[in-house]
Amino acid sequence: MMSELIIESQSLHRSFGSTAVLKGIDLSIQRGMVVGLLGVNGSGKSTLIKCLLGLLRVSAGQARVFGEDPWVLSGAAKARLGYVPQDVKLYPWMTVTQVIGYTAAFYPKWDFALSEKLIRRWDLDRDRRVGPLSPGQLQKLGLILALGHRPDLLILDEPVAALDPVARREFLKSLLEVTQDEQHTVLFSTHITSDLERVASHVALLKEGRLALFEDLDTIKDRVKRLRISTSGPLPHSFSVTGALRTEVTGQTALVAATNVSDRMVSDLRSQWDAEVDVEDLNLEEIFLELHQEPDRRPGL
Amino acid sequence: MASVPIQFEIHPSSGVPIFRQIMDQVRAQVASGRLKAGDLLPSVRQMGAELQVNMMTVSKAYSRLEAEGVLERDRGMGMRVRTASPTSASVGDRQQELRELVDHVATRGLQLGLTDEQIVAVVKMVLKERR
Repeated sequence: MMSELIIESQSLHRSFGSTAVLKGIDLSIQRGMVVGLLGVNGSGKSTLIKCLLGLLRVSAGQARVFGEDPWVLSGAAKARLGYVPQDVKLYPWMTVTQVIGYTAAFYPKWDFALSEKLIRRWDLDRDRRVGPLSPGQLQKLGLILALGHRPDLLILDEPVAALDPVARREFLKSLLEVTQDEQHTVLFSTHITSDLERVASHVALLKEGRLALFEDLDTIKDRVKRLRISTSGPLPHSFSVTGALRTEVTGQTALVAATNVSDRMVSDLRSQWDAEVDVEDLNLEEIFLELHQEPDRRPGL
Repeated sequence: MASVPIQFEIHPSSGVPIFRQIMDQVRAQVASGRLKAGDLLPSVRQMGAELQVNMMTVSKAYSRLEAEGVLERDRGMGMRVRTASPTSASVGDRQQELRELVDHVATRGLQLGLTDEQIVAVVKMVLKERR
């Protein structure tokens, strides 16, 4: 059932001392969604993930994972959850094989065939001790440990940060395999928008502790565009477009990044201002940048 | 019958949603005759794995093409190119589809300070190279 809510939060707040990091997050993630969590450094991605996992207590508002409060998540719910933190920490004296065996013992439905396949795919040495592994190798091992029990919900905090491009591709392949039945839900934070564009069904964008955007990726790309508007006469200082993220007006031209662009809207602009309107497609990185630019630039104002 | 080999190229970091890229390429291949009526397209799973994209994206493209009448679902087999493919759309309709792209060309040409004739000459040159 697509409509089953796997993650839910209402007005979720989290502060550290007097610093508010999350300022009211309303999120609903349904079964089968693959959600990419974007945001600049310090925007609260890891804090949100930790609140959802019950690793941090929310300051106000609430969170629900599998319908339960994450702070007191039941064993049954934990068994359905896989998590890879930003820094994978494992017992350094164990070998790769031992750490997998140790983790598998906690899960009644561990899939050894899958963990074996991933060890081969990611070229990990079974007999190496965990201690001297490189950050990339540790991250691969962390992913194997999170994927090995085929969790219903996979939460990944910067899963590819330490991986080289080859390993990143292999990781994406594994993620696509896991999600192909549309029954598994994934929430992953990342800076690398190009990876996200391949796998994500939805994008959530955190900005200054709030959810600036949560939408189907295709819808975002269809609607968020940059418009280059040029008219024969000068544009008034009050020139504005509904849904504008950023407006730059200089004399007879305006550059507007807007969130609700449609053919209708463009033709209205053309007729209203007797303007030439050029519509530019934006990829996720460009959209991300537009969302973080100064919203208004009008010389003389 | 085996499905046609995958001849698609996807640019995930384009501003055009991936499902639209797939739709455009299927339409183009049908229009050019590379895909013929009755041809079986790769399964959603194959296509997703080959292009390394989310399968929901592929199935969205296929469903929309089905709704447009470009493809039809062959139960248990997959998606086939429809016998009566929409290339039979009127010249006017097909020109309308091209218009949007030409609009970009015109804007850029004018920005570069080219005359109407010079812009048309470039288009003709490109067409000639195709022949």
